[in-house]
Amino acid sequence: MKKSRIVNCILGVVFLSLQLSCAGITKNASQLDEDAPIFPDYKEVTIPANIAPLNFSFLGEENCALLVGDKVIRSRGGLFRFGKRQWRKLLTNCSEGFLNLTVFVKRDNGWCSYKPFKITVSQDKIDPWFSYRLIPPGYQGWQDMGIYQRDLESYSQKAIMTNNLTGGNCLNCHTYHNGDPSKMVFHARASFGGTIVVDGDAIEKLNTKTDSTISALVYPYWHPSGDFVAFSVNKTLQAFYNHDPNRIEVYDMASDVVVYNVKTHEIAWSPLTKAEDRFETFPTFSPDGKWLYFCSAEAVEPMPDKHREVRYGLYRIHFNAEDMSFGDSLECVYDAPAEGFSVSFPRVSPDGRFLCVTRHGYGNFSIWHKDADLWLIDLTDGSLKPMDDVNSNDVDSFHTWSSNGKWMVFSSRRDDGLYTKPYFTHIDSNGNAAKPFLLPQKNPLAYYKRLMKSYNLPAFTTGKVKIGKRDLTDVIRKSSGTDVLVK
Amino acid sequence: MNPFALAYREQQQLFLFDKTYLLGTLLKVGGLSTLLARFIVQFFWNPTIALVITLALLALSSYLTWAFVRKTSKDWKTIPLCLIPSVFIWASLSDIGLHFDFLTSILLVQTGLLIFKNIKSGKLMWGVILTIILYLTTGSAAVLFAVCAAIKERSWKSLCYPAVVALCGIAAYLSAAVPTWADAFTPSFYYNLDASLPGMHWAGWICLPIIILIGELAGQTNLNRWFIFISGIVFFAVSCFPARKITNKFERQQPILTYKLEYYTNREDWDGLIKACKKAPWLPRTANYLNMALAWKGELADHLLDYDQRGPDALVMTIKDRAVDDAQAHIMMTMGNVAAAQDVAFNLLFSLQGYCPAMVKINALVELMRGSYEVADKYLSLLKKAPHYRKWAMKYRGFLFNDDAVEADPLLGNGRRNLTAEDAFIMYTNPMTELFPILDANPKDERTLEYGLCYLLLAKDLNSVKHFITDYYSSPDSPALPRIAQEAMVFYSEYSRNMEGVESFGLDWCYDHGVTPETVKRFEDYQKAAVAGPVSLKRFRGTYWYYLVHTEI
Repeated sequence: MKKSRIVNCILGVVFLSLQLSCAGITKNASQLDEDAPIFPDYKEVTIPANIAPLNFSFLGEENCALLVGDKVIRSRGGLFRFGKRQWRKLLTNCSEGFLNLTVFVKRDNGWCSYKPFKITVSQDKIDPWFSYRLIPPGYQGWQDMGIYQRDLESYSQKAIMTNNLTGGNCLNCHTYHNGDPSKMVFHARASFGGTIVVDGDAIEKLNTKTDSTISALVYPYWHPSGDFVAFSVNKTLQAFYNHDPNRIEVYDMASDVVVYNVKTHEIAWSPLTKAEDRFETFPTFSPDGKWLYFCSAEAVEPMPDKHREVRYGLYRIHFNAEDMSFGDSLECVYDAPAEGFSVSFPRVSPDGRFLCVTRHGYGNFSIWHKDADLWLIDLTDGSLKPMDDVNSNDVDSFHTWSSNGKWMVFSSRRDDGLYTKPYFTHIDSNGNAAKPFLLPQKNPLAYYKRLMKSYNLPAFTTGKVKIGKRDLTDVIRKSSGTDVLVK
Repeated sequence: MNPFALAYREQQQLFLFDKTYLLGTLLKVGGLSTLLARFIVQFFWNPTIALVITLALLALSSYLTWAFVRKTSKDWKTIPLCLIPSVFIWASLSDIGLHFDFLTSILLVQTGLLIFKNIKSGKLMWGVILTIILYLTTGSAAVLFAVCAAIKERSWKSLCYPAVVALCGIAAYLSAAVPTWADAFTPSFYYNLDASLPGMHWAGWICLPIIILIGELAGQTNLNRWFIFISGIVFFAVSCFPARKITNKFERQQPILTYKLEYYTNREDWDGLIKACKKAPWLPRTANYLNMALAWKGELADHLLDYDQRGPDALVMTIKDRAVDDAQAHIMMTMGNVAAAQDVAFNLLFSLQGYCPAMVKINALVELMRGSYEVADKYLSLLKKAPHYRKWAMKYRGFLFNDDAVEADPLLGNGRRNLTAEDAFIMYTNPMTELFPILDANPKDERTLEYGLCYLLLAKDLNSVKHFITDYYSSPDSPALPRIAQEAMVFYSEYSRNMEGVESFGLDWCYDHGVTPETVKRFEDYQKAAVAGPVSLKRFRGTYWYYLVHTEI
């Protein structure tokens, strides 16, 4: 009894002195006319109320502290770490819809405060999970890679599938049906090659190369009905530049767009999506399923000598899900080549109003193009605008909408120019994007510096992907696969 | 076992004193044996140390077997018998595809067996616990523990150990901790991903329970200990033959010489590399290493024809033939084609056991040359966590965000200047086509200059040599024209006067471009010797004239 009293007294004194010292920091601090140097840059970002704590690091060497609301947090080695409960409480109690933060730093003349900043807390929830590949940013070395999922409300990361189970082959293009974690498609390449279609507990392996198509199926996108998947077929090559900032060029020698019927195992296409004199790629359906959007460029020869002359525009064609047929004309949605640009990765918002594309100087593989930026097309009037608050001086590319259309995740190389990281941005009803924030980590500075892989192909899911690695492995390794037929 | 093959293992991993790395490795099935193996292999940067450590571990394994088999502490007559498993493990380790975890897992199992032997009460329970712990920490080697413990106990109850290990294997398979059933229960667990396990690797595994069984049966039947000793020696001697055969087989299948050459390259021991290359300089890959060493010593053109060179492939293999391997990255770096070096190193950054240190180093260097300091920092931070590479990493960290220091550094500055060459895809046409723009951007890169000149000389493309000399050896601050190039030009001058379709040029041109009168005099001697016959030509073996006329490419 006596002992516990003494302990309580000591704790009380420590707590009080901490409070006093903290109060001392904030009361007597002189103000600096500088933004706080922090990583990740969470200054003035908009976050969902259900996001994991946004820990960040002060990049200076000095002793520092953080004032959030009326609470002072001392850093450990420059890292400001929020407890899970503390974070929830902060987000719940920010009545004005934002958190006020100020970083204090101890210098010779006492404590100084950097310019305060705020984090806006949106009540629009973000999908609780998102998945991605973690791969080295090279293009041949994939001995150690996998498709992972991350709980956005915590720091928990789980592997959906890793290639150490399938002979170190390449796994790519994981895509979900409307963010449904139980319905997905991805490809396994090399010795256990095939396209894997997951629907609930059923897993199917497909052999997707046919005599009538130039390659196995590549970039997928689900039809909203879940009965079809649009794919591109591509003859893709890659090359390494001498010193071009883009470093690597990935280009198609030929490509087409086809639609796969999940029930009948048939693929079909229109002569307009498989034209001899054009490269068609990156298909995507409109949310009502009536339109198939894709990128298309005039084929040039010889490749790759003229690869910088290949510019893709955005087109759409009517798609009839009843009989898997296509319209008889193409509609140009955005004639990017006419403006001297190329577009890739079209994605329509769930409400069908906006279409987001990556725009860049030429070619289609924008994840290696430093000039790649996100642009938003308002499908109601065809107007186009750059997402200035989102774009950076480096690659901003592959993007996916959340299921409610309020959030978007995209890949960016803004931090080091090579290793892609996922950034999230809030999109309001008028298509205005807020300053994006980097995927939170327990210790982001240490984690991202240590990470030798890129986050590739980020995609939201409305829940956790539950299919087991064992089941996937068994199908990939053991199933001979179902041959895809041509309709 | 070849010590250089052991040293090559060190280049297939990067042991990091880093919480994420340590925990990430440890928390996998078999994680402890992997971590131990990687910790040990990090010291294999020296082949002698590698050999000594491996031998010591094999001796330890034999001791642990004996400690388990012996009935009393003075029972030394079972020692020869206990050496046999180590002989086969030794042989198996000659296969680079078999991870070093194969040995560390057996050592952990043997330690487990010794603990098990000394348990006095609750043996069954402790046996089960040890089986589970060993499965988690060593992987499928726990099967050995279960079988050996059951042999030792010789009771129906002891069959629960194999049963428990079977359950562990099933759990590992179902949870996808291992890709296949074979990985769950056999030495496949320690073999390269999805490669088929050669049957020989079973020998080291099977021997252990057999020796223990023999030891147990001998104890039970009160066999004469001298009989055990003699038969142990006989079996040991006999086992050495198949073990030797296994070793030879793997060493034949593996590029042992390449491992040796890689070792000297990574140590930048150019004299050692030249010496090692002398064993087979005619092999294109060996010639590549040899010429690379000469280039780093600044002696490529001077000593090129001191060795048996057979065409330009001796400098660098052509696109069609070359494999993307470590050597290619080193050669491209030496040639000054740093972007190509990075292209290769970028794709070889990851090995099956983690990172490839030599490739991480090349990437760090090229990122510094590019001025991509954030990325360079990533690689240098990684190397800083590996004790053997820490000093190197610390040295190059000094260049981060310091353009002046990078430009002033001979290696980094030169590389940065080379990167300003006219942009194009690299590793796309042929090595020489890619060298021209680099030389245009940085004509002072003497290694690149020598590679370019030697490439054309070895290709016997004398017209291009002449143009090359005109372009890069004609200004007042150009280096002196190497002897073999002088010989080529004197020959070509003579040839051009007698051949139709070739623009003729006289000795004046040669003198104007660095050819000495002494070379012209020697050419006259050569011509006389050529008329006199092969014996007289012997003294001209190291000349370009001899190469031109007598070497088929």
